[in-house]
Amino acid sequence: MKATDGQEQVEEFFKAQKWKAFPFQKKTWKAYSEGKSGLIHAPTGTGKTYAIWAPALIEWINEQQGNRIPKRAPKLRVLWITPLRALVEDTTRSLQELAEGIDLPWHIQSRTGDTKSSMKATQRKKFPSCLVTTPESLSVLLSYPETKEAFSDLKTIVVDEWHELLSSKRGTQTELCLARLRKWNPKLKSWGLSATLGNLDTALTTLTGTNENGLLINGDLKKKFVVQTIIPKDMEKFPWSGHLGGRLVEEVACQIEQAGTTLVFTNVRSQTEYWYHALLSVRPKWKEKIGIHHGSVDRKDRTEVENRLRTGSIKAVVCTSSLDLGVDFSPVEQVIQIGGPKGVARLLQRAGRCGHQPGAVSKVICVPTQAMELVEYAAARDAMEKRKIEDRIPLRAPLDLLAQHLITLALAGGFQEKETLEEIRSAWSYRHLTDEEWSWTLDFIIRGGKTLRAYDQFKRVIVTKGLHHVESKIIGRFHRMSIGTITSDSAITVKFKTGKNLGTIEESFISRIKPKSNFFFAGRLLKLERIRDLTAIVSQAKSGKGIFPVWGGGKSPLSSELTKAVRHQLEKAKDGHYQNKEMKAIAPTLRLQETGSTLPSADQFLIECTDTREGRNWFLYPFAGRLANEGLAALVSFRLSKITPMTLSMSFNDYGFHLCSNTDIDIDQNQWAELFSPDQVVDELLDCMNLSEMSKRQFREVARVAGLIFQGYPGAQKSARQVQASGGLFFDVFTKYDPENLLLTQSRREVLERQLEVNRITEKLQEIKKQKFILNYPKRLTPFAFPLWAESQRTQVSTESWSDRVSQMAKELEKLHER
Amino acid sequence: MSNSVEIIWQNETFHLLPEKAIYWEREKTLFIADPHFGKSAAFRKHGIPVTEKTTEDDIYRLSRLIQETGSLRIVFLGDFIHAKQSKTQVLRNLLFLWREEFPSIDLHLIRGNHDLGAGDPWSELNIHCHDEPWTIFKWECRHHPNSNLSVPYFAGHLHPGYILKGKGRAQLRTACFQIGMGHIIFPAFGSFTGLKNIKPESGEQLFLTNGEKVIALPSSKSFLRKQ
Repeated sequence: MKATDGQEQVEEFFKAQKWKAFPFQKKTWKAYSEGKSGLIHAPTGTGKTYAIWAPALIEWINEQQGNRIPKRAPKLRVLWITPLRALVEDTTRSLQELAEGIDLPWHIQSRTGDTKSSMKATQRKKFPSCLVTTPESLSVLLSYPETKEAFSDLKTIVVDEWHELLSSKRGTQTELCLARLRKWNPKLKSWGLSATLGNLDTALTTLTGTNENGLLINGDLKKKFVVQTIIPKDMEKFPWSGHLGGRLVEEVACQIEQAGTTLVFTNVRSQTEYWYHALLSVRPKWKEKIGIHHGSVDRKDRTEVENRLRTGSIKAVVCTSSLDLGVDFSPVEQVIQIGGPKGVARLLQRAGRCGHQPGAVSKVICVPTQAMELVEYAAARDAMEKRKIEDRIPLRAPLDLLAQHLITLALAGGFQEKETLEEIRSAWSYRHLTDEEWSWTLDFIIRGGKTLRAYDQFKRVIVTKGLHHVESKIIGRFHRMSIGTITSDSAITVKFKTGKNLGTIEESFISRIKPKSNFFFAGRLLKLERIRDLTAIVSQAKSGKGIFPVWGGGKSPLSSELTKAVRHQLEKAKDGHYQNKEMKAIAPTLRLQETGSTLPSADQFLIECTDTREGRNWFLYPFAGRLANEGLAALVSFRLSKITPMTLSMSFNDYGFHLCSNTDIDIDQNQWAELFSPDQVVDELLDCMNLSEMSKRQFREVARVAGLIFQGYPGAQKSARQVQASGGLFFDVFTKYDPENLLLTQSRREVLERQLEVNRITEKLQEIKKQKFILNYPKRLTPFAFPLWAESQRTQVSTESWSDRVSQMAKELEKLHER
Repeated sequence: MSNSVEIIWQNETFHLLPEKAIYWEREKTLFIADPHFGKSAAFRKHGIPVTEKTTEDDIYRLSRLIQETGSLRIVFLGDFIHAKQSKTQVLRNLLFLWREEFPSIDLHLIRGNHDLGAGDPWSELNIHCHDEPWTIFKWECRHHPNSNLSVPYFAGHLHPGYILKGKGRAQLRTACFQIGMGHIIFPAFGSFTGLKNIKPESGEQLFLTNGEKVIALPSSKSFLRKQ
């Protein structure tokens, strides 16, 4: 390939920095120069940014006549979309670095919800040459009629961290924006940057739309990943959730001591609070040296922690997935994962947060909180090596978002029905949008749906000669303000008396705390003074005990990929192969499972029945992840109680579920096979899962996106407060007066797909149909059954005595087996 | 008045009605707080599609209550009309028709914060409007509760609600009457209104209503009239 002049300049700059362009970067440059779109996939920190930024600059240099670089900044040419506001500044800086390095007069600016409104107005008059922004901000821009002209020189749109957006409504929003931009300029190049995924082809098509064949570029430099585990010295044979990790605090502290800067990842926010305090209690001197970071901590404090990470002036940060993404913290030398990895991609992503230097190894040290997690680490390592990574599935035609987008288009000068339908269907998620769904959504934004036709004052979108447009200024203003606000229905702000913000906490948690008692939050021990107007006023507590907050949102299930990998490890163990440190450590537990019952192979479905003083316990192991296991438990107990009326209690985890009954009925293999029949699953799930209550909760989000809930903003006028109603209230009104409202249908579907993983349930039932049922009657609880039993005790007794009771039982069981 | 619950408060007997109202039989007076009539119209003005059927049904429910109880007087404890934008032709027609149905009933409104924004109801409805407090017999009728008062009072404004927890994840949120020695806080009458979660203070008793039935929560202080 003959280097163009622009390319020479870039390569010279690279040389001066002692960098060398990687083959995948050069491949991207070439594809770009041919006008192609594509998706670059690679772990973080491998140079994806410049792979696509360099050719965008080269393109412009080569357009200049006689290669004389003008002094004036060009019109907007590149849009750079990133999922996190926190990433925007860093990205802008790193784009500037290259543009300035080769002396280009480009203006590169950012625009997010945080940008000052004066700055936003200036930008809209004169856009920079490259704008770094979020999907929501882009969507707002598209609602202004002048944007089309301002974007007339736009050549390229880059979507960073596409894997993160892909299967969310923000991803769908990005798709719709892309469809609009492509309609303005069919030659627009769309490039995505993504971590490795199981379904890269879909990720690509979702980005480029259905009309284009883009290119997949593999930027995986075969970076080396190492998964290590801290093995507890004395392992109990009966695993149960949570308590094991606490004993490893000292080991974790030692690991932190040995490295420069460490990220300590936990799976949920409450664990973050717990571990931060646990570390301080063994190393009190670290108070100024370690930080805490999660989504509920005030943004200012989070930014401070991020800055200290960038400069390496912090020893360790305990965090959640809030630090999974993006920002390049080069000083991070080591990553620690507390608890199960949940998914292969997640562990890969987290490991990739360290070892950013070329050729460096990304190492993650895993700390089990429960013995079975050892198997998960071994399984995840295996899957990482084989790059067997989870899929991320784009949503299917969410109508709330379509309604929002159509109003955006109506605001931006209006739209015609036929051509817009075509444009919408060119977006992957809406490619199968039915005519009925389309007409319903149009009717919803024009007349407000069926029940509203009687009221003529409802004029959200007006149709004049086929042009759908918005006349009311209020509606326009409200719409722009409500695009992309995040649902935070019952969040309570936590504040010091002096006014300093600490973050947000859920109402359901804070309402359980009595004034003048202590709780942990944002790494501090606080005393609750009072709650007023959605604000909890607190003061620093002197010392003493406190409780750890709990946030909703729940635990994510073990992914399908990882579950498969776990079963593979168990199968090897069944054959007597304990090949790695983790499996060797857990071997006694697995052998106990084998002698007491069975270690099931992939073609076996294990059911255990054991009587305890609570009654008859059934333990079933579908290995479907906790959400699907919960659904299966509900389904099976629903079917059981249809045959014989009885009271059943149930519990579940990632591996299986537990039903307990005070009757002593027996169920044979054939009956079990019936109970797991794949017929009528969805209908029966609807009957037994209290779906309407779940849909009602889900409807909050749907109502917000569809523009039913106006959340207001600081200093909103009083008139704004008079039009606030909760999602639940809309749900009730629609259910009563407009039951065919498709937003209700959507909310139900979202519950089924996201909260119940109904597809996984259906697949599982098909799989079970082919499996051989192994029905065992162990005299005592097996290692697999024990954590499920322990979980079922949790709901019956208070937390403290639960702990005592479970550890007591575990000891008894171990003694019995030693005999 | 099926499904109502009788209580004794300030030595008077009252019926708590599941329709979210209180009936004082001795004086044939009905007390109602926060109907927020026409609330959805304000939403529609802002482009949020909600039907006016909620107001229609609420007015229908009010008519039925008057017929069933034989009330001669109604005292509204504030927030009669939700907002200026609520005063539409549709609402006007609904309320005028309702007034024609009961031409002789004596109507009083204690102005609440929303009434100040919306202005008094159409004068043809012939509703006597008062600023709070307005004293009736030996207690005050107010819109805003005021815990510093020594005078007993009826108030609205808060839209009290209570969360009942069941097994597992099951929970239920319902509107409630919040009753103490010196006060009765009413649930909001309007069906297109939200709830504020509360917990009873000591000396208070909550009466939950789901629209069909009133249930007294057990409490150290009981206001229930012993049958």
